[in-house]
Amino acid sequence: MARPNSPDYDLYRSGILVRLTGVDAGYGASTVLFGVDFEARAGEVALINGPAAAGKTTITHLLRLALQPRSGRAVIVGTDIVRASARSRANVKKRIGYVAENPVFIEQWTAFDNIAMPLRMAGQKPREYADDVRELVDFVGLGDASDLRMEKLSGAERRRVAIARALANKPELILADDPTANMSPADGRRVVRLLGEMRRVGAGVVIASQDEGLEECAPMRRWRMERGRLSPLDHAAPEAAEALE
Amino acid sequence: MKNALTGVERALFWTLAFAAFAAAAAGLAARAVDRVAAQYEVQRSNYAIVRVIAPEGAAGIAAAEVALAQAPLVTSAAPMTAGRAAALLAQWGGGDVAPADMPPLRLIEVELAQSEEPGADVGGDIVAALAQGGVTAEVIEAPNDAAGGGLSARVRAAAFWGAVAFALMMLVIISLAARSLAARRREMVTVMCDLGATRSQAAGRVADEAAVLGLYAGLAGGALAGVAALIVLWLAIPALSLDALRTMILPIDFAPIVAAPLGAAIAAGFGARAAAGYFHEQAARLG
Repeated sequence: MARPNSPDYDLYRSGILVRLTGVDAGYGASTVLFGVDFEARAGEVALINGPAAAGKTTITHLLRLALQPRSGRAVIVGTDIVRASARSRANVKKRIGYVAENPVFIEQWTAFDNIAMPLRMAGQKPREYADDVRELVDFVGLGDASDLRMEKLSGAERRRVAIARALANKPELILADDPTANMSPADGRRVVRLLGEMRRVGAGVVIASQDEGLEECAPMRRWRMERGRLSPLDHAAPEAAEALE
Repeated sequence: MKNALTGVERALFWTLAFAAFAAAAAGLAARAVDRVAAQYEVQRSNYAIVRVIAPEGAAGIAAAEVALAQAPLVTSAAPMTAGRAAALLAQWGGGDVAPADMPPLRLIEVELAQSEEPGADVGGDIVAALAQGGVTAEVIEAPNDAAGGGLSARVRAAAFWGAVAFALMMLVIISLAARSLAARRREMVTVMCDLGATRSQAAGRVADEAAVLGLYAGLAGGALAGVAALIVLWLAIPALSLDALRTMILPIDFAPIVAAPLGAAIAAGFGARAAAGYFHEQAARLG
C-alpha cells in the first residue's frame, strides 16, 4: 500500500478501492482494453455487463493483478500497481477475493479445506480458523457438502466454495468473473445476492457478467463493456463524478 | 509427509530412494577401492628381494643379513626358504613345485619402513649398505615409482572422483524426478498464486514437501546401501567377526551413508522449487 498522506493512500482512505484511468491492457501482441476508466468503492457493488469477448475477464485479471496495464494508471487498494514492487503486489492480492469463471481447487481436498486455504496460507492453525470457515460454509449455504471432496461437488456447489474461499481472508475488494455462468437462473441470482451482501460489511464488489438483469439482486453501479471500451450506464464517469463532488 | 507414501508419491519415493542407494553404494565402493589401494601401496613399498652374488654360499647370506640390519629403512631381513620360494612360484603361476626340487637360493626377503622422501632410491641404498658390509648383491624387486609407484594414488583419485561424478548424476536424477511432485501440486500452486502467494511462498511449500520426501528416501537408500555393503563384506570375508568389523570400519566410511539423505533432500527440494516456481509464474502472468 502507498504511504500515508500520499495521493494513492488518500484515494483509498476516501473509500475508492479501484481507480483505473486511461488503461490499455492485453495479451501478447493483441490489445483487449482501450483507455478504460473505472472506479469501485467500498460498500458498493459494480456490475460490468457486456457480451462475450468484450474484455470483461481481462478487466478482472487486471484488477486481481494478474495482468499489467500497458498504459494509463491503475490504483488498487491504495497501491499504484504499475510502480509497486512484487512484495507490495502480493500484499494487495491478499486483500482481494477472486471468484474465477472456472475456479481452480485442490480436487483431493474437501470443500472445507479449500475454503480454509487462504487462512492456512496466513499461518492460522485449524483450531483457529475452524469456526470462521464453518460460518462461511453457512453463509454460502453449502451445508454438509463442505465435508465432501471437491471432485464430488456440483457446479453450483463449487461456485459457492469459490465464493466462500474468496471471502475467507475478509477481503476489501471482491472480484467475480461471470459468477452465474453454467448455473440455473435461480442459483445464479442467489450467488449474486450472496456477493452483494458483502457490501454490507464494507467490501467493494466487482461483478463482470454477460447476464443482464443482475441489478435486481442488489443495488449496483452498472458499467457496459463493448469491444474493450468501458462506459458507465446509469451514473457519471469517475472524472465527472469527481468534478461534481 | 501427508499422503507421501501413496500412489504417485510412493513411486517417486522409491525412485528417489533407488537413486540415493546408487549414489551411496558408489561412495562405499569408492571407499573400499581407496582402502584396498592404500593397503596395496603400503605392502608394495614395504617389500624388497635381494639376490646375493658374492660371497657365495651360507657365508654370503649371513654377511648380507648383518649388513642389511644396518641399512636405512630395513625393518627385517630373512633368507628365502625353499618352501617360501615354492609357494611364491605357485602363486605366480609356476605350477606345483616341490620345495625339495628347488635349487640353492641366494635370496633375502626384506621388509622396509615407509620412506618419507618421495622418489627415494631405496634399492640403491640397500645395495650400498650391502657393499659396505662386503657383500655384492642386487635388488631384484624394490619399491620403484617408475614401475607402478603412484598407481595406487591414481586409482584412489579415480575412485573418489568417479563416485563424486556418479553421485552428482544421481542428484540430478533426484532433482528431475522431484519435479513430478511439483507437477502434482500444480493446482495448489495455481490456487496459492490466485490467493496472493508470492513465487517463493508457493514454491517453498512444494520444495519443503519434496525435501522431506527426499530426506526419507535418502535415509532408506543410504541404509540399504549400508546393508548391501555389509553383505558384500561378509561374502568376501566369510570368517569376518563383528569385532573385526568394528575395527575395520572407520568413521569416514560412513560419509556416503550420511551424505545420501542430505544430498537427496537438497536435490529434491531444489528440483521441486524450480518447477513450482515456473508453475507459479505461468499462473501469475497472463499478458
